[in-house]
Amino acid sequence: MSLIDELASQPGVMAAGEYAYRGDRFSYVGQLTEELARMASIMCRTTSMALHMQVDMLKEMGRDCGCAPAQGWSVKGKDYTVCVRANVFCFIDNKSNELNNIMKFLNEHIASDEGAMV
Amino acid sequence: MSKLDNLMQLDGALAAFDFSSSGELQDSKIADGAEIENDVLDMVCHVCVANGAIATMQARGWEKMTQMEGFYPIQGFSLIGFEWTVIVSDSIGVIIKNDKVDYDATYAVLES
Amino acid sequence: MIKNLLAEDGVMAICQFRDDGALVEGYGVMSDDMLPKLAKFAHDYKRMVQGNADQLAMFTQMSGWTPPGGWLVKGEVWAVCGVSNLVCVIDLRETTLNPVMKALHEAANW
Repeated sequence: MSLIDELASQPGVMAAGEYAYRGDRFSYVGQLTEELARMASIMCRTTSMALHMQVDMLKEMGRDCGCAPAQGWSVKGKDYTVCVRANVFCFIDNKSNELNNIMKFLNEHIASDEGAMV
Repeated sequence: MSKLDNLMQLDGALAAFDFSSSGELQDSKIADGAEIENDVLDMVCHVCVANGAIATMQARGWEKMTQMEGFYPIQGFSLIGFEWTVIVSDSIGVIIKNDKVDYDATYAVLES
Repeated sequence: MIKNLLAEDGVMAICQFRDDGALVEGYGVMSDDMLPKLAKFAHDYKRMVQGNADQLAMFTQMSGWTPPGGWLVKGEVWAVCGVSNLVCVIDLRETTLNPVMKALHEAANW
């Protein structure tokens, strides 16, 4: 079972996917259409690249403050949360109260991002 | 107790802060021994505002295109750094050590 | 060739960068250690703008946003602008944006 399959089968996860940092491909599993998954991967990829830039600049300010390289991010909406770790994303239903478990899963199953974005 | 004080009670909390809508740091609490200073927090606040704005734009566009509602308005943003994680909601945030992060507990305090 | 852009009024620094963000060449009133940082910033910023333009095109269903022609951030005294793999820093006390942007677009097509 691939990481994405396993992630998508976790309680509370509606859909999971991964994208190439170059933007030329993506894959997904779960309750999304191909077009929505493509849109989601474009959005997640853009935010990840922007965050990498911002965090690298924070570090450039002369302080290795524990932030760089960025490992991931999440955005909590009214009913859903989007979580991203490296180039892997998932949509979580807030009603499931599984955010901690999913973030733990991502932390344990995805190697530290060294910042190369390849 | 203020919300910042409540956030500092979270396990692993290194700093709690609030900021203006344009990202300037307004107030902060920093744990003893934490190697974080207010000028770093000010930059973190600007990062949070920038990404909150981007996320809001994305939620707006996503909902309009897909009719899949439930993202807007954005209730929180989190950045997972190399050693610590920032979690913000509205104009208040907290920095927590990665190995201590409890998202549910943190959002519960932020949204209280 | 890009060195010629320094002849434009107000152009303080000009850099060309590779697709991985590494500095190809850079000139101007800026220390040697700052030029690679400017190149890296411009590379990252360009990718961010491209991503946001992609999203704008996606959400508005309008063509014409992408590929982005460049970007420009204007401060009170300084402006930084990028076209293609070029970036330059401008002193707005000595010039206006139009001539520099025109020269930058031309240089990007050399």
